[in-house]
Amino acid sequence: MDKIPADPAGQRHGIKYDPVTTCEVAALVRLNSDTSQLTLKAPRIAAAAEPGQFVNLEAGHFLRRPIGVMAVDRQQGLVQLGIRVQGRGTEWLSRLRPGTVLSVMGPLGKGFQLEGYRRVITVGGGTGVFPLYYVQQMCREQGIDGIAVCGYRSKADSVLTDHYRAAGCQVLFASDEGDLDVEGHAAAALEQLLQSLEMDRQEDTLIAACGPNIMMQAVAKIADVYQYDCQVSLEERMACGVGVCLVCVCKTKTKTGEANSRCCVDGPVFPAKEVVW
Amino acid sequence: MKIDLSVEAGGVRMASPLLMASGTFGFGREMDAFYDLSILGGICSKGLTVAPRLGNDPPRAAETASGMLNSVGLQNPGIDAFLEHELPFMRQTGCKTIVNIAGYSVEDYVAMAEKLTDEAIDAIELNLSCPNVRTGCMLIGSDPLQLTEVIQAVRAVTDKPIWAKLTPNVTSISQMAVAAADAGADAVVLINTLMGMAVDWKTRRPILKNNTGGLSGPAIKPVALRMVSEVYQQVDIPIIGVGGILCAEDVLDFMVAGASAVQIGTANLISPCAAVKITHDLRQLLGKENLTRISTLTGTLQLWS
Ligand SMILES: Cc1cc2nc3c(=O)[nH]c(=O)nc-3n(C[C@H](O)[C@H](O)[C@H](O)COP(=O)(O)OP(=O)(O)OC[C@H]3O[C@@H](n4cnc5c(N)ncnc54)[C@H](O)[C@@H]3O)c2cc1C
Ligand SMILES: Cc1cc2nc3c(=O)[nH]c(=O)nc-3n(C[C@H](O)[C@H](O)[C@H](O)COP(=O)(O)O)c2cc1C
Ligand code: FES
Repeated sequence: MDKIPADPAGQRHGIKYDPVTTCEVAALVRLNSDTSQLTLKAPRIAAAAEPGQFVNLEAGHFLRRPIGVMAVDRQQGLVQLGIRVQGRGTEWLSRLRPGTVLSVMGPLGKGFQLEGYRRVITVGGGTGVFPLYYVQQMCREQGIDGIAVCGYRSKADSVLTDHYRAAGCQVLFASDEGDLDVEGHAAAALEQLLQSLEMDRQEDTLIAACGPNIMMQAVAKIADVYQYDCQVSLEERMACGVGVCLVCVCKTKTKTGEANSRCCVDGPVFPAKEVVW
Repeated sequence: MKIDLSVEAGGVRMASPLLMASGTFGFGREMDAFYDLSILGGICSKGLTVAPRLGNDPPRAAETASGMLNSVGLQNPGIDAFLEHELPFMRQTGCKTIVNIAGYSVEDYVAMAEKLTDEAIDAIELNLSCPNVRTGCMLIGSDPLQLTEVIQAVRAVTDKPIWAKLTPNVTSISQMAVAAADAGADAVVLINTLMGMAVDWKTRRPILKNNTGGLSGPAIKPVALRMVSEVYQQVDIPIIGVGGILCAEDVLDFMVAGASAVQIGTANLISPCAAVKITHDLRQLLGKENLTRISTLTGTLQLWS
C-alpha cells in the first residue's frame, strides 16, 4: 500500500486535509474466538469521530477495510475498534501487535443523528454491537437515556456485555440459544421491550440499529409499527471510503424514485424510511 | 533547481502530466476537500451517458492480488445533469477538464459530443472500453470498424480534442490505436481495465453481482506499459498512459515507454492525496537526475534489439 506519511510540510504541497494518518497500535485484546478489540493511538480521529462513523484501515492487502468506531478516549487520543474475522483482511488486523504503525483513514461517513432525541434504543446484532456501543457512550455524555438491545448466537458468542452494563444504559441481551436475558434475535427482543415501555415517548425516542440486513429490516418494520424514528447503519463492500469510486452503493428512496446512494459518504447511517430493503 | 512538469498531450497543454482517471475521482468535489486541485494536469470526469444510469447491483468491488475488480457499470447522472451541476465546479478547479463519455451507439457519442462542443471543456475522452455494460463501449472499442465510425462521427461535430480511451481486451492494441489515429483522434489513452473475475468457492458464486469486472491497480501496470511501448512504435499521435500507477517512478516508467501524460486511477482509492505525493516526488526524482523538463523523457526508452 502506498502510504502517505503524516507530513508536516503538507501545507506546502497544497494539502488542505489529508484524511489518512498513521497510527500506532496501543493494544489488541481478544474478546472471544473470532473477535478482537483494537486500540489505536489516533488523537485526530478520537477528537472528531461521531457515533456511527467508521475508519478505513490498511489491512495487509491491497484495499483498506472499513470498521466502525467502537469507542473513543478523547483525553488520551485513543480510538477503539471491535473486529470480527471474516476473511484475510480482518484476520490480518486481528493479529496486530502493540507498536505496529498503521495507515488509517477517517473518521468517515455520516453517523447517527442523535440531536433532538432524549432517549436512544440501540439494537445490535453480529458486529453491529461494536459501533452501537459508541452511541451509548455518547448518550451517557450527553445525558440522553440509553437502552441497549444486543443479539448474539449464544452466551459463548456474546461480546461487550460488561462494557454495555458499565455504560449506564438499560441493557437487554438476547441469544438464539436462550442462555441470556431473552431468547430469540435482537429484533424480537426489541419488540418485547417496546411492549413493556410506556407509550408516550415516541416523539423523543430514536431506535438506532446496526447488524445483519435481515435484522435491521425487521427492526425498521417494528419501529414503523410502533411509530418510532429509526436509523440504520448499512454495510457494503468499499474501496475509497470517500465517495469517489461508487462501488459501495445501496438502494435508497428519493422523491423521484430510487437511487444508488454511496454507503461511505451518504451513509453508512440512513433513516430507515429511506432504505430500499 | 526549477523543474518544469508541464506537458502537452492530445491538444491540451497541462501544468503537470498527472491526470486523474475517469471513475476514480468523481467530478473532483470530494477530493477538493483534501487538496488544491490546481496542482493537477487535469481531471477526467466519471463516464457519462446520454441518460442517467443507476449502474450495476452490488457487490461492485473485489480485491485481487495487487489490485481490484470493479463492476460499477457507469453509474452517472447523465450528460445534461453533468453540464448543469458538475461542469461549473470542474471548471473552477484550476486544472483541465476532460469529459469522459460512453455510448451504446454511434448516435450516443455524437449526441453527447454535440452538447459538449460549445462548453468550456478541454477535451472529450471517448470511453470505448468500459467492460461493465452489456452493449456499446468496449464492444464498439474492440472492433476497428465501429471504433473508426465513432471517432469519425464525433470528429465531424466537434473541434475539441478527442482522446480515444482504448480497451486492453483485444488481440492487437496497435491495430486499434492505428484505427483511432487514422479516424482523427488527437490522442489515445491506454488502458482501461482488463476484464476479470473473482470467485467465492464456498458459496459457488462470483463475488461481483455482475459476475465479471474490470481489473485495475498495480497488477495491470506491466500490461499497460507493454501496450504504451508497442503503440508508441506504431502511431504518431500522443499517448496517455494509465494502469497501476502508484508512485512517481511509475509515472516516469510510462513516460519513458512513450506516454506524453499519464492518468492515476486506483491509487486515488487507497490514498486520496496520492497525486500530491507523486507530484512532490517527481520533482525530487528529476532534480536528482538533473532533468529539468519532464516532457523530454517521453519515448526515450531504448528497446533491446
Ligand atoms: C461502514 C462499515 C462498518 C463496519 N464495521 C465493522 C465493525 O465494527 N466490526 C467488524 O468486524 N466489521 C465491520 N465491518 C465489516 C468489515 O468491513 C468486513 O468484515 C471486512 O471488510 C471483511 O474483510 P476481509 O478481508 O476480512 O474479508 P474478505 O476476504 O474480503 O471477505 C470475507 C467476507 O466478508 C464479507 N465482506 C467483505 N467486505 C465487506 C464489507 N466491506 N462489508 C461487509 N462485509 C464484507 C464478504 O462478503 C465475505 O463473505 C464494517 C463494514 C462497513 C462497510
Ligand atoms: C472504480 C472504478 C471506476 C472506473 N470508471 C471508469 C469510467 O467511468 N470510465 C472510464 O473510462 N474508465 C473507468 N475506470 C478505469 C480507470 O479510469 C483506469 O483506466 C483503470 O482503472 C486503470 O488505471 P489504474 O490501474 O490506475 O486504476 C474505472 C476504474 C475504477 C477502479
Ligand atoms: S467506497 Fe468509494 S464511493 Fe464509497
